Amino acid sequence: MEIPYNVELREDTGLYNSKLGIWLFLASEIMLFGGLFSAYILLRTGAPVWPPIGADGHSVLHMLKETVPHATFNTIVLIGSSVTMVMAWVSLKQKELSKYKMYMGITIACACIFLIVKYFEYSHKIHEGFVPAHDTYMALYFTLTGLHGLHIIGGIIVLAYFWGPGFKMWGLEPERFTNRIEVVGLYWHFVDLVWIFLFPVLYLLN
Amino acid sequence: MSVKDMSHHIANYRNIFIYLLIGTALTVIASYMDFNVQDSIAGAIFVGLLIACIKGYLVAANFMHLNSEKKIIYWILLLTVFFLALLLFIPLLWDLNNMSNQINY
Repeated sequence: MEIPYNVELREDTGLYNSKLGIWLFLASEIMLFGGLFSAYILLRTGAPVWPPIGADGHSVLHMLKETVPHATFNTIVLIGSSVTMVMAWVSLKQKELSKYKMYMGITIACACIFLIVKYFEYSHKIHEGFVPAHDTYMALYFTLTGLHGLHIIGGIIVLAYFWGPGFKMWGLEPERFTNRIEVVGLYWHFVDLVWIFLFPVLYLLN
Repeated sequence: MSVKDMSHHIANYRNIFIYLLIGTALTVIASYMDFNVQDSIAGAIFVGLLIACIKGYLVAANFMHLNSEKKIIYWILLLTVFFLALLLFIPLLWDLNNMSNQINY
């Protein structure tokens, strides 16, 4: 049985179903990250000093300044991946398959670079004793960036599928495949959008 | 979409990429500048979040095509933003409540 409204638009919504589905999913994601941002505001406004001083008498503030270049680099990488993601979709619209493969490959590579930089950042902080239990800021930092990192890993899995085995759908249903790339692109841009707010909140405004 | 439309889109995406890079540079530069008002960093927070909001708008409007979407998506997002604002407002209500308790006792 064929699933309806994969390509053709519904009369009532004016959208194909997966596009409506992804926007509803993104709405729930906004609330998920919104809840954590709300916790951040509550804990920050209630703290006498920010970032708080841990039980060992140290604050993470000096280390945050050291990691600003890494976080700035990661921001540029993620913004770049958003551009290549949208260009992958444009390439499919123009039926330029080699370009699609190239842009999708760059997007996946950017996502991997982001995670590698994050790994070094985490290692450095943990090595210096700045673990989630150190203070409220570190707990929020690992929760927010960890959840965002999980979204990056999820994105890499889906993007790699559409770059590799999932690409065979193009031969059978090109329009449906193009819509799938648009939908995964919306998810990816949302992940970028969350980082745009995390970057100043966690690294710069302390 | 025609080839002409697509080339217009590509040029637009390239411009947005440049604007986002400029925005990122401004965010970092602004964090080293002194916007403090009476020993409070509220000014720096305002400037940092303002730039983040502009960058967020550029991504949502152009890459996510929210500048030309169907009505139902705007309604979904409006409802989400309403509840998000409520969620972000809760900490403020908490603080106000604590302040009024301190006055009462």
